[in-house]
Amino acid sequence: MHEVSIAQGLIEIAIDNCKKQGYKNIDSIKVKIGKASGIVSDSLLFAFEALKTGTIAEKANLNIEQIPVSGFCDICNKNFTVDEAYVIACPICGGSSFKVETGRELNIDEIEVSR
Amino acid sequence: MKIKVVTNILEANDRIAAENRKVFDDAGVFVINLMSGPGAGKTSLLESTIKDLKGILKIGVIEGDIAGTDDAQRIDSLGAPVVQINTGGGCHLDANMITEVMNDLPLKDLDLLIIENVGNLVCPAEFNVGEHMKAMLLSIAEGHDKPLKYPLMFQKSSALILNKIDLLPYTNADLEKIKKDSLSLNPKLMIFEVSCRTGEGTGEWTKWLQSLVK
Repeated sequence: MHEVSIAQGLIEIAIDNCKKQGYKNIDSIKVKIGKASGIVSDSLLFAFEALKTGTIAEKANLNIEQIPVSGFCDICNKNFTVDEAYVIACPICGGSSFKVETGRELNIDEIEVSR
Repeated sequence: MKIKVVTNILEANDRIAAENRKVFDDAGVFVINLMSGPGAGKTSLLESTIKDLKGILKIGVIEGDIAGTDDAQRIDSLGAPVVQINTGGGCHLDANMITEVMNDLPLKDLDLLIIENVGNLVCPAEFNVGEHMKAMLLSIAEGHDKPLKYPLMFQKSSALILNKIDLLPYTNADLEKIKKDSLSLNPKLMIFEVSCRTGEGTGEWTKWLQSLVK
């Protein structure tokens, strides 16, 4: 539901970086969105399309890389990846001592720009 | 030409939140960001907390709602300083909204500021507003599937207040499952079982609040 704020934030960051480097147009924006971030890709794309109009990102594509929820279990010493947005037990051994390492990302990764 | 950016999209919000936090620290006020779905009883909890701690803690409130001033009026009638934010459709409060109103409150005179977020079990959890602690309510009637369906808020909160506990006999909600799943998501979560309507259990909550502030 807050995809509009997220789209606004990423457009601002992209425009800021583009101008700082002396370029005039943004051709594409790549973002990494974790599965546990609560962001729905379709809604983000929709908001992005609406908000980019009239900016130097008007012609930009938004490429979303979804990052799965993954972690490391301290009990079986293995890395794991799950389909859900959360982990309540190690999916391999069922243990409850683990670290979630990915899945909460909400990052703008790179932009492609032109003069 | 490609430019590597690698920036958290919420960085701008987090920067403003850190500035708010400094203002709160300088004023010596402890700030809680109170979140829940609509109708779980955030304003009722505030009312009972303000009444119970009258003469003990000076409490101020920032009310976040999509529209209307009903909640702020309820707090105002108890004599507590309150400001209302209307997000005009926005589904959460962000740090900048707090910056705009926080100086309308007598921060230096307050012991505790509670920011009542927009009723929504999803988005508010994602945005820091400068608080020292996040707390959330879940009412028993919402059902025991909520922790695993909306894990983020449970993971980010320090306290979970289970409200409307007096309704437990009239629902199919499994209280033990709510507690077990919530603790699986967040082992450090403090859980309080209360009924703001009957007053049951609210003493534990206010005692805990006092221990945080003093």
